[in-house]
Amino acid sequence: MLKVEGLVCRYGKVAAVRELSIDVRAGELVTLIGANGAGKTTTLKAISGVLPAASGRITFQGEDITRASARRILQLGIAHCPEGRRVFPYMTVRENLEMGCYLRSDADQVAADMRRLFERFPILYERRDQAAGTLSGGEQQMLAISRALMSSPKLVLFDEPSLGLAPNLVERTFEIIKEIRSQGVTVVMVEQNAFAALELSDRSYVLEQGRVTLTGTGAELLDNPHVKSAYLGA
Amino acid sequence: MRGEGSTEVGGLRRGAQPAYAGPIFTHLRCAGGRENAAPSFDLKRSVEQLLQHCLNALILGGTYALLGIGLTLIFGIMRVVNFTHGELYSFGAYAMYMWVMVSGVNFFVALPLAILLGVLLGAAIEFLLLRRLRGADIDTTMLVMIGAWIALQNIEQLSWSGVAKSIDSPFPASPLVLGPVSVSWNRLFVFVVALALIAATYALINRTKLGKAMRATFQDRETAALMGVQINSIYTATFALGSGLAAAAGALLGPVFVVYPTMGDLASLKAFAIVILGGLGSIPGATIGGFILAFMEELGAGYVSSGYRDAMGFLLIIIILLVKPTGLFAQKERIG
Ligand SMILES: Nc1ncnc2c1ncn2[C@@H]1O[C@H](COP(=O)(O)OP(=O)(O)OP(=O)(O)O)[C@@H](O)[C@H]1O
Ligand SMILES: [Mg+2]
Repeated sequence: MLKVEGLVCRYGKVAAVRELSIDVRAGELVTLIGANGAGKTTTLKAISGVLPAASGRITFQGEDITRASARRILQLGIAHCPEGRRVFPYMTVRENLEMGCYLRSDADQVAADMRRLFERFPILYERRDQAAGTLSGGEQQMLAISRALMSSPKLVLFDEPSLGLAPNLVERTFEIIKEIRSQGVTVVMVEQNAFAALELSDRSYVLEQGRVTLTGTGAELLDNPHVKSAYLGA
Repeated sequence: MRGEGSTEVGGLRRGAQPAYAGPIFTHLRCAGGRENAAPSFDLKRSVEQLLQHCLNALILGGTYALLGIGLTLIFGIMRVVNFTHGELYSFGAYAMYMWVMVSGVNFFVALPLAILLGVLLGAAIEFLLLRRLRGADIDTTMLVMIGAWIALQNIEQLSWSGVAKSIDSPFPASPLVLGPVSVSWNRLFVFVVALALIAATYALINRTKLGKAMRATFQDRETAALMGVQINSIYTATFALGSGLAAAAGALLGPVFVVYPTMGDLASLKAFAIVILGGLGSIPGATIGGFILAFMEELGAGYVSSGYRDAMGFLLIIIILLVKPTGLFAQKERIG
């Protein structure tokens, strides 16, 4: 479904991603794990088109999206739930969700989707007219996830959705992501918490210094001695 | 309460009386006040005079707010220090002059046409200059905008010569007298149109999809792009809107004052004062800032010295930067 081949991304002269390749099949939950600065966020940004790739090729459902605009990529069905939640702080919860479906013109379907999200996250409904910046971290994460879903995507990129959340909320977030996948949406997730990420995912890629150094199913990587010592603290 | 307030005003007046007795009393006479300027303190007269100053300030404040909102929108959303803002103001006035005095178009048709031309000129500046400067550092952008300012001003000078022009207005010459105060019909019209444009801008920002995209871009450009917002189009729309507001202020005030090529310079400076006062990027701040500046100028000119009218803006900037450098409005109240 999504294929990244030999991706190179640079900030100025410094390469943050060097010749990275990943492959995601429809319906999968794939995680990217790696240390700080490994290039995970950069990879997701290149996929969603907010950061230009220096070289390499990204295709989605057979279409080359390497040079496509973020708008085009979203239209094709890739939503990106960015690192650090990035809700629009001075907009209300409802306006944030409306931004999520900025490109959609099927008003009835949008209204139904919004109703369904509000049912799933009653707290967002309660806070619908409140500025998003005044929500708690957990609520903001629910909002960021909901906003990404409002575009009715085929594939969602999650960048560290559990960042800064209390343990019970981390659990809850992962539950939600599993639920999203079970509804047929493909998920690519970046996660610092390697153990949870590997348990959750069908397949996983380990990134080090902008490259994929290991890949396999979650179970395989959980048993891998290098992963164990470097990421699982065992 | 009331008595105390009046005494204070009276006290202020009495202290500085000799220096300005002349102009103020002439003013009062125009405003329908009593004849004979006795140097002794007259409570009724000074209250009436204060009312007249406040009314003048309110009317001036509407156009100042227009100027300020336009500039703060552009700065807030695009992070561009727009030195051409004053030129858009004078462009609006010249467009009005061209339609009304040269082409003989009806005044009330000419006004929306002039504003529309301002919108188009703004879009052209954004498209031809700023779009090429995306990602350039702020100094480069500033230099280019200063260049555009000088170029536009000289084009005006070339096209219309440096001689001040006046624009005939269709309003009756005699003012509208409301009890102790009076206001010219033209200024009243300016005020009403300015308020309508401010209201329309608020509605655009808060109620439309474009406005929502503008606010999102202001709050987080990258995330707005992730939502499918075309940042380039938002920038063009923002610059065109801000320019249209400046041109509207010029088109409204051109017929009140006279039109000359450098008229935009002072307008620019005042717009910057308003924006700094209200907090960079704050629309409510710019609205209220516009009125505060107008009140300061009007009261300063009336009670201190009319020669210092235009210095009030700078005084205001200095005070604000000393007391509250972020402007009167905190970040959380900014909308776009
Ligand atoms: N805007 C930027 N400008 C310059 N360098 C950047 C920028 N963003 C990231 N980098 C660099 O690129 C490299 C990869 O960053 P990236 O954000 O992709 O890492 P990450 O794997 O997401 O890390 P983390 O787990 O901390 O989020 C880092 O060395 C970082 O310093
Ligand atoms: Mg990251």
